[in-house]
Amino acid sequence: MKTYDAIVIGSGMTGGWAAKELTEHGLETLVLEAGPMVTPADYVEHVPPWEMKFRGLGDRKKQLARQPIQKECYACDEWSSKFFVDDIDNPYTTADGKPFLWLRGRHVAGRSIMWGRQVYRWSDLDFEGNLRDGIAVDWPIRYADIAPWYDHVEEFIGISGEALGLPQLPDGRFLKPMDLNCGEVMMRDVIAKHWSGERVLTIGRCAVLTEAHNGRAACHYCGYCERGCITLSYFNSINATLPAARQTGKMTLRTDSVVHSLIYDRKKNRVSGVRVIDGVTKHALEFRGRVVFLCASALESARILLNSATPEFPAGLANSSGELGHNVMDHIMGGGATGKIAAPADRNTVGRRPNGIYVPRFRNLPGGPKSPFLRGYGFQGGASRAGWWRGTDLPGFGADWKRQLETPGDWHMSFSGFGECLPRHENYLEIDRTKTDAWGIPVIRISVAYSDNERALMEDSSLAAAEMLAAAGAWDIEPGTEFSPPGKAIHEMGTARMGRDPRTSVLNAHNQAWDIPNLFCTDGACMTSSACQNPSITYMALTARAANYAVDAMKRNEL
Amino acid sequence: MKRRSLVVAAAGAATALPLLPPHLQAFTRAVRARMEAGAGLRTLDPHQHATVAALADLIIPATDDPASPAAGAAHVAEFVDVVLSDWYADDDTAAFLAGLVDLDARARGAFGRDFVDGPPAGQTALLQGLDDDTSRWNASPKATRGPEPFFHRMKWLTVYGYYSSEAGLVQDQRFVIIPGRYVPCAPADTAGTGDF
Repeated sequence: MKTYDAIVIGSGMTGGWAAKELTEHGLETLVLEAGPMVTPADYVEHVPPWEMKFRGLGDRKKQLARQPIQKECYACDEWSSKFFVDDIDNPYTTADGKPFLWLRGRHVAGRSIMWGRQVYRWSDLDFEGNLRDGIAVDWPIRYADIAPWYDHVEEFIGISGEALGLPQLPDGRFLKPMDLNCGEVMMRDVIAKHWSGERVLTIGRCAVLTEAHNGRAACHYCGYCERGCITLSYFNSINATLPAARQTGKMTLRTDSVVHSLIYDRKKNRVSGVRVIDGVTKHALEFRGRVVFLCASALESARILLNSATPEFPAGLANSSGELGHNVMDHIMGGGATGKIAAPADRNTVGRRPNGIYVPRFRNLPGGPKSPFLRGYGFQGGASRAGWWRGTDLPGFGADWKRQLETPGDWHMSFSGFGECLPRHENYLEIDRTKTDAWGIPVIRISVAYSDNERALMEDSSLAAAEMLAAAGAWDIEPGTEFSPPGKAIHEMGTARMGRDPRTSVLNAHNQAWDIPNLFCTDGACMTSSACQNPSITYMALTARAANYAVDAMKRNEL
Repeated sequence: MKRRSLVVAAAGAATALPLLPPHLQAFTRAVRARMEAGAGLRTLDPHQHATVAALADLIIPATDDPASPAAGAAHVAEFVDVVLSDWYADDDTAAFLAGLVDLDARARGAFGRDFVDGPPAGQTALLQGLDDDTSRWNASPKATRGPEPFFHRMKWLTVYGYYSSEAGLVQDQRFVIIPGRYVPCAPADTAGTGDF
């Protein structure tokens, strides 16, 4: 049987990066993807609603039957539902009274196809947070360790944004920023006037090109990135990392390869390969590799390790610490506020900008006032005008009523809070021995709930958003009061955390399993805390960093 | 469904058209013409289809703007049939069809004929009453306001069906699928401001 230099499990956000870095360093790399192939031919962003059977309303009955969980994601619509899993084939269970939304895709590129494309670096405010607050364990790295890798991945991806020089949100080398619209400019100026030095509104930093970059074209503002992009203008694995890996001639991408578990060689204390169930034939297969990168997503990677228990590791492979599957985090949402603002009535936007505004964290900053909660939140959102959809509830009918809909309605401004979630051992997942998926693999049971700190963050975010809107003279201000269940932000992380001590963490400072040197995990599982920024860019930077570390360690014959 | 069965029986008879006496041939031709107008319909019978089409055109008529056609040009009634057949839950479809029955009852009370056969002024007056009721329902507390009125369903289906059609979205709303640019503060009547 062939032994690959490396096996990467997953082809999404982090698997694509592992594949690119490992193959570019000459490693023969097998990428195992659980789902089917997706190519740019599967993109549907320019199919207009009138060519869809339900005009974009979605196949409601089919979704109720096959995607009752996935349909909770805004992007799982009539066009893009094919990029989300079938919930019947891919079940999981939850603890009583603890709902959890596991929203995901299983196909080449995974969630990098439908992600929100927001890119925010972490700072030492985040990496030092656990140590400062005495929460969980300390991160084994600081900003200086990851900064060159943020540069490395951002340079390849192309990030548009505005440099602000804020210590809590380090700048990258940005492509030119997208523009704020007139409603957002008005809000930015109000915030600058009333909260100078505390709060700032900027355009979102996003993985969408505003100028041609690395052979990919600038955005054409159709606005439907979650349906794909034939001009490759936003970053996903298919558009960028997997083609780079393929170009080396060193990558073998095997689709429909559902990983069951890892094969452990107790004599060498190494992972020697991977057990796979073929997604189509359901036959069991094995593949051999010298190093394994788990990039299957935070929950799936933990599931694979828990399903790989051996006599040496009865609680799950590489789990001598007992922390595997624990410390699940997401970002709490639902706080914030919306209101109507007096932006210019004779102005509107042309084109659909696939990006919004960002208000970086302003609570509990060093040297600033202390809030009655730990950590903080950021705001995403934007200004837009009401369109034809207000017609249903606009009194009247007939020609005069219709003419009202030919011009845009009120300007609305929205601020949506994304709050940091603290790592807690009691938020965990385990193998549910009573249930298997369509491939006969035991599923996970998730037991996660937010605590008072997360709820306090969101309540504060609603007040803070409402006061900004009030300062702008907004009316019909509606603060958010219904907070999201865990999972809804699709930023789940923390199930195999990095740390400084093998007794209290699963991975070391290089995403390497403390227990098994040739096993790396670089997806969201590795996160020691959650910060409040969208996490994908940090996963990607950590992946590139770990892959380069692994290559060097292999050269030194350490793995 | 009774009316539909009758029509299907009549259309079946039409295959033997030359054998029918002349007065029945004319009747059958009329039935066949109405059926072809609603070809492919799966839930709405011809009368229901005609009623929905009339309602949609009253809600969204053609205007003096040639770029803004009526709901009929956007085939809104056919879209409604798709929703009733494959999208709505059975209860919602039943509620909608019951709403059509109720509309005819009101029409016969108001002007002695089914809604679709009524005078334009009578139709408009009847709809004005339903729209006023809908506005009151909209303004009432969600917990206590009761089930969604038929006219609210009809208005939503018409608005959604029209503005998701090529006629409504591209012609009326000046929607452009590939704008090619983002203009943050354009004059509000610029092409490409339309959204979906």
